[in-house]
Amino acid sequence: MTARLAPPYGLLLDRDRSIRFSFEGQPIEGYAGDTIASALAANDIWLLSRSFKYHRPRGILSMAGDDANTLVQLPDEPNVLADLHRISDGLAVTGQHYTGSLRSDGGQWIERIAKFLPVGFYYRAFHKPRGIWDFWEKRIRARAGLGTVNEAVRGRYYDKEYAFAEVAVVGAGAAGVAAAIEAARAGRQVVLIERQPILGGALNHARVDARATRGVDLAGALAEDLAAVEDRITILTDATCTGLFDDNLLAVVTGNRLIKLRAEQVVLATGAIEQPMVFANNDLPGIMMGSAAQRLLWLYAVRPGRHAVVVTVNGDGYGVALDLAEAGVTVQAIVDLRTAAAPDSRVEEAVSRRYPILQGFTVDRAIANAGGHHLAGVDLVPAEKDDMATPARRHIACDLLCMAVGWAPAASLAAHAGAAVTYDETANSFTVADLPPTIHATGALAGIWNTDDAIAHGRHTGRRAAGSHGEPTAKTDAAQLSVSAPFPCSETGDGKAFVDFDEDLTPEDIRNSIAEGFDHIELLKRFSTVGMGPSQGRQSVTNALRLLCRETGQAIQESQGWTNRPPAFPEKIGQLAGRGFDPVRKTPMHDRHLEAGAGMMVAGNWLRPVGYGSNLSEAAIAEARAVRNGVGLIDVSTLGGIDLRGPDVVEFLNRLYTMDYTKQPVGRGRYALMCDMTGTVMDDGVACRMAQDHFYVTATTGNSDGVYRSMLQWNAQWRLEVDIANMTGAFAAVNIAGPQSRKVLGPLCEGIDLSAAGFPYMAVGEASVAGMPARIMRVGFVGELGYEIHVPAGYGEALWDALTDAGRPYHCRPFGVEAQRILRLEKGHIIIGQDTDGLTHPHEAGMGWAIGKRKPFFVGKRAIDIQMARGLERVLVGFTLPPQTAVLPEECHLVFKGEDIVGRVTSIVRSPTLGQPIGMAYTAPDRAEPGMPILIKGPMGRYIQGTVAALPFYDPENRRQAG
Amino acid sequence: MSSAVPVDPTQYSRRSFVYRRLRDAGAVFADCGDTAIADGYPGRGGLPSRMALIDLSPLPRIGFKGPQTLEWLSRQAVTIPARNNRAERQTDGALAIRLADTEVTILGDIDSRDNTVSRLENRPPAGGCYPVPRRDSHVWFVLCGGKAPACLQKLCGVDLRIGRFEDLAVAQTSLARLSAQIVRQDHGNVPTFHILADSASALYLWDVLVDAMDEYLGGLAGRSALRALRETRG
Amino acid sequence: MKILNCPLNGPRNIQEFVYGGPVQDMPAVDAPDAAWADYVFLEDNAAAVVREWWMHVASGYWFIAERDTRTDDILRTYAPGAPERTGDA
Repeated sequence: MTARLAPPYGLLLDRDRSIRFSFEGQPIEGYAGDTIASALAANDIWLLSRSFKYHRPRGILSMAGDDANTLVQLPDEPNVLADLHRISDGLAVTGQHYTGSLRSDGGQWIERIAKFLPVGFYYRAFHKPRGIWDFWEKRIRARAGLGTVNEAVRGRYYDKEYAFAEVAVVGAGAAGVAAAIEAARAGRQVVLIERQPILGGALNHARVDARATRGVDLAGALAEDLAAVEDRITILTDATCTGLFDDNLLAVVTGNRLIKLRAEQVVLATGAIEQPMVFANNDLPGIMMGSAAQRLLWLYAVRPGRHAVVVTVNGDGYGVALDLAEAGVTVQAIVDLRTAAAPDSRVEEAVSRRYPILQGFTVDRAIANAGGHHLAGVDLVPAEKDDMATPARRHIACDLLCMAVGWAPAASLAAHAGAAVTYDETANSFTVADLPPTIHATGALAGIWNTDDAIAHGRHTGRRAAGSHGEPTAKTDAAQLSVSAPFPCSETGDGKAFVDFDEDLTPEDIRNSIAEGFDHIELLKRFSTVGMGPSQGRQSVTNALRLLCRETGQAIQESQGWTNRPPAFPEKIGQLAGRGFDPVRKTPMHDRHLEAGAGMMVAGNWLRPVGYGSNLSEAAIAEARAVRNGVGLIDVSTLGGIDLRGPDVVEFLNRLYTMDYTKQPVGRGRYALMCDMTGTVMDDGVACRMAQDHFYVTATTGNSDGVYRSMLQWNAQWRLEVDIANMTGAFAAVNIAGPQSRKVLGPLCEGIDLSAAGFPYMAVGEASVAGMPARIMRVGFVGELGYEIHVPAGYGEALWDALTDAGRPYHCRPFGVEAQRILRLEKGHIIIGQDTDGLTHPHEAGMGWAIGKRKPFFVGKRAIDIQMARGLERVLVGFTLPPQTAVLPEECHLVFKGEDIVGRVTSIVRSPTLGQPIGMAYTAPDRAEPGMPILIKGPMGRYIQGTVAALPFYDPENRRQAG
Repeated sequence: MSSAVPVDPTQYSRRSFVYRRLRDAGAVFADCGDTAIADGYPGRGGLPSRMALIDLSPLPRIGFKGPQTLEWLSRQAVTIPARNNRAERQTDGALAIRLADTEVTILGDIDSRDNTVSRLENRPPAGGCYPVPRRDSHVWFVLCGGKAPACLQKLCGVDLRIGRFEDLAVAQTSLARLSAQIVRQDHGNVPTFHILADSASALYLWDVLVDAMDEYLGGLAGRSALRALRETRG
Repeated sequence: MKILNCPLNGPRNIQEFVYGGPVQDMPAVDAPDAAWADYVFLEDNAAAVVREWWMHVASGYWFIAERDTRTDDILRTYAPGAPERTGDA
């Protein structure tokens, strides 16, 4: 590790712990606290990735996770930022997006045909001649994308957490820490969020004046103030705020957790992002931001090169040169784009140390070494070339080029909050304005570059966020500090110059897009893809906007970049999913079903048994037969149950359901059909009159929550005197059905006469069943003698056991949803949502009988009347097919009348009871008479002819069910 | 540990919604009237010091809804909270939770010493106030411990911090995507939260709470532990 | 994620609520067909302050919110039948 420096360099390193990992199969040693990139750099490995389009060699650029030149592959995760991800023992890191090896990527050849791949070429290629896409698609898929997903990886534990703060401060640099301290001093509860593992931001690595220790002094002083109020500040490090949403909700990702932080006030101190220069081969490994070189030095104790050139327009660049020299790097030249440097203590110190300074020059191109993987030197030309045809070039050999030509505020979160992020020509950078009242910007984000000013402004902002009023101090005039270059772009050199490193876009690509007519920043982005890569324009939007304005003549003052949307930084889908809460409801008999071998299905948000046994289709038939011939039990706890009580209960039911309940006697149930305002059938059940002012109404499993919600909403408007209580989970219910059902249930009951006369069809009563308090109804969905027993949920399992035991001598068996569907179809009962759709009104489904004729109003009445006045367009009928039909049509196969589609099949099954296929279908009203043929287009487009049949198919005189 | 005679939950017709989970975790059950309650977990030594999850579903409770609810309950000598979303302790240890102007739930005392719930169960209300079977419609879990608010914060978007959500405060909200009622009622000086949610989702909610507690080294506890906690008045 | 101030439960994340359509009076039982079709199918879609039904799911509580559709600001919320009782946003 020859590039390592001794302390005080290496703030993040724990030198007592060595870590061994590998890169591209080569063993590498680093320290705990190293990132992949810093450990590799310490071992003189600078080539990290291959670019997206041209497969050019790439390496460290920002050293802060702001760019995507460092994306590497881990065994269980692609596209990992090597300059943020810390090394661990045994970690096997490889590059991505190459053929062969990272060093000699077979994909490099593509650059040779670059002229055939202009910007947006794919919009015009790959579709002619016909069929050519089939050839290209496979090849493009193989080459496209960056990392590889390991599909064998098991899910990891992710989760989420809600958090609250009076003041949230994003960014723990000088201004952010100052703001947090002042807000805490004012008594507020503060959360401070920092992306890096330590606080301090640029104070940890920047050289703010001639004396190297100044930044560290300031960091130390702030740390003391921070310690004094630490009980009111929660500090989150290694935490990234990826979005700022309505009412100050911040999304913060840290490790495998997503924190949803609600803050009353937000202080944004996210700092600024150093911007690149555009010149030929500006993407070579060895070319990095000045701040990247300083991060390597100060955070990771890595000497970033041996011979360096610094290109700059500000005092920061001179500070970089001072840092490099003091770390043993030879400063070959400081290339200042300006003809004269503004006064700055760092400039004076560099001058006094006699560093070679070239004023008024710029970089024309960078030259690679023999292997083509690293910087070997730069060509310089005068910055003001004017009419020079061939400007005089100076060559300087170097293995490190630091760019310090400007900054852009890290304004994503401000943009999410609705701020105006516009270009300011006096600053040569974007500025942030028009933040909402509860969101504040400070530090470099607010355009304050001087460190002392940033701390003072941060303090004022913290106090303002804590509730005190008063303007923060005026910031130092940015123009005087000449922080950013107006147009750091040089196109005279030979070789590709990159505006966007993620997408391999050159100034020529930008100009070609504009020439095609995409001359607005939003259009330019979408056509050229500038800013659409993983770094989301952090280092490209500024230069892209400058190029656009130069090319079109648009004024750059107050221009905006493209719309900035969350996430500001990459988020994993696992972090967004968290634990993936998926509530599931189980009946009290759930375990009994499993013990009996049930296959379960999801119905609404419940689990229900499909049937019992390993072959569910056979089980359904056997279970259906058992019910017809003897007795069966089905768990119907999932059906909705709503208690309606109060003096206006009948009026309420009459308005909400189609039938008239005025004369319904106590102790009786009546069918209940509900429509919506469009007249569409929504739900059905049974309304049982338990007492004069008390109805217990059932609903279907899938709709019970919706019915309850709808009842509450209607009564919020009508305000009738009726109490609506959702009892769905409060009762367990079993339906016992079959000719033997009375014999099984009778002996268990106390307090009720279950005889045919004492408890006729549709009777309702309360009794004790096996010692448990129950509501009993005599209902008939499946067409046999049957009873529904509702007990409080705590008794559900015991009830099931009691009935199972009592039923054993009669070979009673449990039956599931599938058997029930067969039985109900034989009995001609519809299932809402299967035999009805989003438009079915009662008359179409043959349920005109369920409409109370004398009621002035019920929900949907007018709509039904209006539709009926137009006449029926379709009706639901029963049909049969010959027993020997080999291939049956399926639900949703179409019904034809001649060439016209007149309906579709809604239910179909091979009936075990009738010995032939039966079903229900929609058809034309003039084809609905029993006996008429019905033509269905079945599987493989073959026509199948059936016969319309009267419903019900089974027991048309209702002797079994109602006897 | 209680000296009550251990029973098997299946001896009773009425059973807790999660009795199998508790039995598999080693719970010892005691009689509590018409059903069994997990009284403790031998070998786990009382209340886990950091965080505990307790199933109180077998205990009596009842709800009332309707426009005359507050008036009728006052006439039955129940102390009604002055505002919605507040709870009020009754003299016999029961807890009255006021969910709305027209709805109150009464949680029975853990020793069933109370007569509030049985008194109200046996006295049919006058018009305009209707009983609802909260013992069957809702599951009743208790989460207690200094970190209980932090644990619940992983499941719930309401600010439950000790300084913000006071003793006897009530939140009707979404807990791990379930509609739930959260009521704070400190036992001793340990933050304690009653959680009431749809009984059919009991197993789902139990598993979610056990998983969320894991980070805080939480464990299961029985009724005895809660009783002991209550008796250490802080 | 917006905060909605429920008249019963106070300020809560909007995910705890369900939207229930605009507040509108039902036409008379014998109003013409066109009036009913308008009531069932058509909405004004006004750029203005509108009144809407919202329900807090966990408590089953329906209430009315006044929202400015231009800024998406919720100006106030109140129990149905009690517009004079203000719940400030």
